[in-house]
Order: sequence, then structure tokens, then C-alpha cells
Amino acid sequence: MERALRISHVGLRGIVGSGLGASHVLDFAAAFGTFLAPGPVVIGRDPRASGVMIREGVIAALLSTGHDVVDLGIVSTPVIQHTIQRLNAAGGISIGASHNPAEWNALKFFAARGTYLSTAEAGELLDIYHLHNFAYQYYTGIGVLRKDTAALDLYLDDLARVFDLNALRGYKVVVDCCNGTSAIILRRIIERFGLNFILINERIEGVNFAHEPSINARTVSLQLAPLIQPLGADAGFLFDIDSDRVAIATDKGDAVNEELVLPLLADYLLPRCPGRLVITNLSTTALLDEVAERHGGTVVRVPVGRQAAMDALATYHPDQIAVAGEGTGAVMMPQFRFIYDGIASMLAVLSLMHQRRQKLSEILATYPCYSILKGELPLDPQRVPALMMELQSQYGDGIVDVRDGLRISWPDRWFHVRVSQTEPIVRVICEQKGDPPLVLFETLMDMVRSAV
Amino acid sequence: MREHRLKVGVSGIRGVVGEFLTPALACSYAQAFGTFVGPGKVVLGRDTRSSGEMLQHAVACGLLATGCDVVYVGIQPTPTIQVYVNATRARGGISITASHNPSEYNALKLFNHAGLFFNHYERRELLDLFYESEFRTATNDRIGRVAYDPDTPPRMHLDRVVRHVDVGRVRAHKFKVALDGVNGAGSELSVHFLRDVLGCRLEAISVDPTQPFPREAEPRPDTLGDLQELVRRTGADIGFGQDPDGDRLAIVDENGVVLDNDDVLALVVDAVLTSMPGDVAVNLTTSSVIDDIALAHGRRVYRTPVGEANVVEMMQAVKAVIGGEGSNGGIIFPSVQYCRDSYTGMGFVLDLMERTGLTLSQLAARMPAYSRRSGKFAFEHGRLGTLMRQLEVTFPEGQCDRRDGLKILLEDAWVHMRASNTEPILRYAVEAKSPDRAAELEGKVRALIAG
Repeated sequence: MERALRISHVGLRGIVGSGLGASHVLDFAAAFGTFLAPGPVVIGRDPRASGVMIREGVIAALLSTGHDVVDLGIVSTPVIQHTIQRLNAAGGISIGASHNPAEWNALKFFAARGTYLSTAEAGELLDIYHLHNFAYQYYTGIGVLRKDTAALDLYLDDLARVFDLNALRGYKVVVDCCNGTSAIILRRIIERFGLNFILINERIEGVNFAHEPSINARTVSLQLAPLIQPLGADAGFLFDIDSDRVAIATDKGDAVNEELVLPLLADYLLPRCPGRLVITNLSTTALLDEVAERHGGTVVRVPVGRQAAMDALATYHPDQIAVAGEGTGAVMMPQFRFIYDGIASMLAVLSLMHQRRQKLSEILATYPCYSILKGELPLDPQRVPALMMELQSQYGDGIVDVRDGLRISWPDRWFHVRVSQTEPIVRVICEQKGDPPLVLFETLMDMVRSAV
Repeated sequence: MREHRLKVGVSGIRGVVGEFLTPALACSYAQAFGTFVGPGKVVLGRDTRSSGEMLQHAVACGLLATGCDVVYVGIQPTPTIQVYVNATRARGGISITASHNPSEYNALKLFNHAGLFFNHYERRELLDLFYESEFRTATNDRIGRVAYDPDTPPRMHLDRVVRHVDVGRVRAHKFKVALDGVNGAGSELSVHFLRDVLGCRLEAISVDPTQPFPREAEPRPDTLGDLQELVRRTGADIGFGQDPDGDRLAIVDENGVVLDNDDVLALVVDAVLTSMPGDVAVNLTTSSVIDDIALAHGRRVYRTPVGEANVVEMMQAVKAVIGGEGSNGGIIFPSVQYCRDSYTGMGFVLDLMERTGLTLSQLAARMPAYSRRSGKFAFEHGRLGTLMRQLEVTFPEGQCDRRDGLKILLEDAWVHMRASNTEPILRYAVEAKSPDRAAELEGKVRALIAG
């Protein structure tokens, strides 16, 4: 049996039973309860069966550290984050392993503003966890558990303020919910706003997901994309289990590369606030720069990972930012106070289609072709510095960026070689305008291979 | 010396919540329990303590992690939970309650598939598992489910109790009853039982489970002032005082006098032996009045170390029809369930009053009279052996029983000294035929302790 437990700045993640156990949950949640300022904590979970066990532990630990707990039940991560902001809560925990297989589970932690913790905050939480010095309360200081059944509707009210949902009624949309939390939200949207969504894999399921919940073009082409044309749909969307990311299929039944989600949203949002910033990481497509330029926006690139994105967001005023996100289908908008929200992303894409009076395939056809190649190889940490030096000297004619591994760019071409934060691998990403940069990619992969 | 207020031992885990009894500890203990009982349903309930909700989630987490299903029954008296475990054939049950201990304490009471306290073999196995920390772990496809059933347990419990009470006649009598529920787990059930089921005219105080305990949790003569006052003011026939988890019962007579718990047990033993053939089991600290009554019925009394589990184990072994722990207000009637049960006690005593037409003080006066004195003092590690030895030397003529601390049986009296199973204290009790003799014996014990 595979054993897996990962404790890091992004929280606690593992395979339940063989890696992630009850004691990890209790200790990590107690550390979080100790870390937070006084006040209620909002929690929710995705439908994984193990989520019930984790929920019980999280509730016990938070109550014992003196926090009232607001349990939203099975709910998407963005709804949890929205509720933290609405209730002015001290923080929140989302129980769910997002795009990982069903046997995994995880705790994601949110600060009082409803966003992920900053690097400094996450570091403090880890310190408390490792020191095991928790602020367990005497019996008079223990918190109280309550439910909040209005959370979903109040979240939808806010979505309806940002997007003109009535205007989207004319679109026929197929959604692959992958047995996750998006099904609950979308059913309610259909009920309240009469949108024409056709849901597949919409049964809430704790053990057997219809397919792996990964958010990428390959998963889209499994079940979703082939349904589009037979159903005469205008677009297709695929959500991960906790609905913070989205992948897309066009009206022609083509799976859209996940790299295109952020450019699409930038295309929609930048004209409404010209000159603002688009924040993304060093590995995201250069198409984004081109789309931003069309609308007078500027792309700011930061190291890969949620922490770097969070820290970058904190250095700008929200009014300066149009959109932020990664090439993984995870996108945040300032209207939603910087929460990765797949549902909002979907509504933004539909709104773009409505505003342009264009089909999704037609909008995508206005973008120049970029070809991106991605690979990964096992890592020998000792060899990494020498590899990077060698790459840098070999490709020194480009613009060098060393903030996260090594990124070198030329006018129509770039590559990024970096060490993963979550797995013991080296990632190689390489993009070129037009045809795929096959030779460059293979050369880089060979250099990495021979180095490790 | 820093006071260590946690006890992990064969009688479970008990401590002051926060500093000592943490959710992590409760969860680990529940994991040991879940590993021991195996996958299947485990019933989980609690009393009204403010820490109960927190601990119940920690316990559920541990149970689910080992692959058990959890059936939440909510706030319920301990005997109600035990009946439900027994009747539903669950794998086991856990009641989160520190029983008569103060509010800052909490504890886990553990039951096997029959709803019985773990016997000493089970407790030993469980403790080994807990210390080894090698728990069974369920993967996502084996994780248990959570179910909620707050309504069935009280119904099942009262159904069993009323089978042994002449409900029609008790209802017709319309007893005036005073009740002090200590805002505990039995608050609502006791009101329902006395008023709706037994048709009593009820005067109740402290029956709000959302409020903290208004008095010391243990129902004793010195803690039941409000109930005594209530009885006197309303002219009630009887007053019942419960503890937070509804296993212990104290009774106030029509004059507002708190009866000795041993006398209450004696009344019930007398009533049961009158109608059912069988023997009696009580703990070593229970009054000799039980021996007198059993003798009158031609029955035997079996003595056990203090602790409900010990009495129940003995009752099963000798097929006793009634038993209990007079010293702490516990009546165990196996036809309802092998557990201390205040509801059985309330039903029996009202039934007895109805049948005999006597008042409670008249009934109590019929019991042989003994004088009892008891006390407790802080446990000083290393001193126990010396004290016991000195006690033995002080009473050279006595017969020694060493099954639980030291009990010395004298011609006309006895002295018992033991370490508490649940708290870091030593308890002593003396009993004699006359108050003077009891005072003399207590004086000798206290002199020993004072050194």
C-alpha cells in the first residue's frame, strides 16, 4: 500500500489510512486554532468518505482551542472562503483533496480574509504544529458548533451581482462535475436562475469517482468533449472535486488546453479595467502577455505555487489587479476578493461569449497559436545546482530569470526548468509561438536526464 | 507539587478538560476502542457538560478512523445509552461523561456489545492497545458512516423500566414528586418519565440541559439543599436527585430529609427479593444492612471491589437478581440492564410506596439501623502501604479483606480504606451499629491519616 503524507506550507495532505491519520488531523487543526485570532471558524468538506472522519477531528480541535465552528457540510472551497468573508470569521478549513484521487484527503487553511495563508502565516502555523504547544481551553472556554444553511444561496447572490446570469440563459452548457461539489452549486443555479446546464457525473460520491478529478485537456476529452456536438451545446466545463478549478471544451467538441483559461479570463476582464495587472507564474503561457497587451494590461510573473501568488497579491492594491491565476485552470478575480473559483471562471467565459456575441471556438481562433510542451523527471537534489548553471551558460543569450529555478526567454520562445515543491521531480516547460519547440524541449530533457 | 488531574487506567480515561484531557487523547483512546471492538456500529452519547460536544467529535474521529460506524444519540443518560447498545446489538458504546465529578472534568465510559461496562479482561486489552498505539486504520473505501438516532434510546430504556413497575396503579396514585435534574443528561427524560409516564404531579428544578450544573454534581445530603427545600415547600411525597449522567440517584423523604444511599438500595433490594428469587451483589463499601435484608429472604450477598464494572461482573457470575453500590447511589437491576440506573430506582421506589401505602420515612424506618461515616483525603504517593499496615495493626482483632484496599471486619462494625479508581485520592468508610462506635472508629482512622 502506498504511504503518503505531506506536511508543508500549503497544509496537510495524504492518503487516508496509510499516511494521513486522525492524530495528524487533530494536531494540525489544533495548531490552526491556536494560530488564529479569536472568533468563529468556517469549515466544509468535499464528498470523500474519509471527509467525515476528518471533519469530526477538525471540529473537536477547533472547539477545544476556543473557536465556535460553522459547519457548511459538503460544499465547494470557494463557498467556504466566501462565507469566511461574509461572517467576518477568524478563518476557515476546507477538507478535501481537490484534484487528487479519492483515497487522498487534505486540509486547506484560510485566513480571516478568506484567502490562503501567506508564506509567513503558513510558516507560523507549521511552527505551532511542530512544537505541539496548543492553546487547549478550560471547559468554560470551549467553542460551540453551529450550521449555516444559507451559505450557498448568499454566495450565489454575490455571483449574480458580478455576472448577469439572466443573460446567460440562452447558452446550452454541459458540465462534468466528477461527482464533486460543483453539482450542488450548479443544481441550485439551475433552480434559481434557470440556466441551461446539462450535468454529467453529478452524483455526489465518496469512494468511486467517475474518473480521475484532474483538471486538464486530457480529462476533458474523456467524457465531456465527445458530448458537446451531439447535444448541440455551446461549451463544456469540467470541475475538480472542490470546484476551485475549471477546464473547458469548445462548441466544436475540442478540449481546450488548460493554459488558455487564464488568457480567456484576462480577455474578458481587462477591457473592463484597462491598464491593470495580470498576475501569474513563470510557467504560464506567453499568450497571456499578448492578450494583456491588446487591452493595455501588464503581466507580472512570480514563482510557481499558491504561496508565491498569495504573497504577490498582497503587494498590490486590489484596484491594480485585473485577474490572477495559473496555467492549471485556477483563476482569481478581484470581484471575488481573490479566491480560486472554478464556477466564477466558468461564468466569466460564458459572459465573454455573450459580450462578444461569438462562439467559444471563434474567440479562441482570434488567439495566435502557442505550443507548450511539459515534462518531468525524477530529481537528485545534489545535481540540481550544476544542472542550472550549465543551462544558464548554454542559453545565456536569452532573458534570464532565476526567481524559481531557471526561466530563459526569447522573443517567441521560452523555457522554465524548476524543482517541484510537492513532489521529488524536476519540471521542464517549454513554449514557442507557432509550432511546438520539439528540439529545444528534447535537448533540455536530455540535459536534465544526464544530470540526474 | 503540581496537581496532575488526569487518570488513564483500567476504568477508562478521565481528567480536567484542556490541560489534561485533550481532544487528541480522547481520539487516541477511541482509536484503541475501535481497534478492539472491530468494524461495526458504535453508539456515542454524552452528558450536558460544555466539553461534551468537543469530545464527542474527537471520539467520533477516532472511531471512524478505525473503520467503525458512529451512531450519535446526543445527550442521553448513561443507562439509556447502555440499554440502546444492548438492544441494537451494536459493537459497543461510549458515554462521554465524568458522572458525578465537577464540571471541569470529563471522561469516557466504555461499553461492550451487550451495553456492559468493560470487564477487567476487556479493560486490560484496551489499555494495552492504547499504550501500543498500533491502531487499525481504514482507507477511504472502508471509512465508516455517521448516523443520528436521538429518539429511540429513551423509548427503549423506559419500555424496559415500566415492565417492572405497576404503571396503572402508580399513575392512579398521582404522587407529588420533586426532582432535581442537576441540568444533566436526564433532565428532559426524567420530566417525561415522572410526569407523562408515571402520572406524577411534578415539581422540577434544574432540568435545563443547556445550563451549567447549579450545584455540585454528586447528589449527596450536603449538595441537595434546593431539592430538600422544594420538597418541604411543595409538600411533595418524595424528591429525586440525579447526577449529570443519570446513573446515580439520591432520594429525599416527605420531611425533606436526604435518605442514606445505602438505605435506598436496601429498600430496593428488599422489594426485588420479595418478588424474585435470586442473590445479591454489592461492593465492599456498601452497608451491612444489605446482608441483614438478604438474610431475612434467605439469600446470599456477594461483595466486590468498588466500581460498577466489578459489581456487574459478579452479578453475572452468580446470576444475582439485584445489586448495586449503596455507597454512591447506584441500583443495578439486570432485568432492565446491567448498569446503575436512576430510572429503575425511581420507578421501584414509587411502586413500593404505592404497594405498601407507607411514606418514605416509614419505609426507611423499617430498615435495620446502622451508623456510617466516610471521608476522603489527598493521595500521597508511597504512603498507602504504610497506612494500610498501620490500619491492620490498629485493629488486630479484625478480619482482613484485601480485594480493594483494605476492609477490616470487626465483630460489630467494619472499616474500609481504598484508593479511588477515578481520582488521585484515598477514601475511607466506617460502619457500626451505634453512632458512638462509628465516631470512635472514624476517629482512629483519621488519627492514622493525620500521622
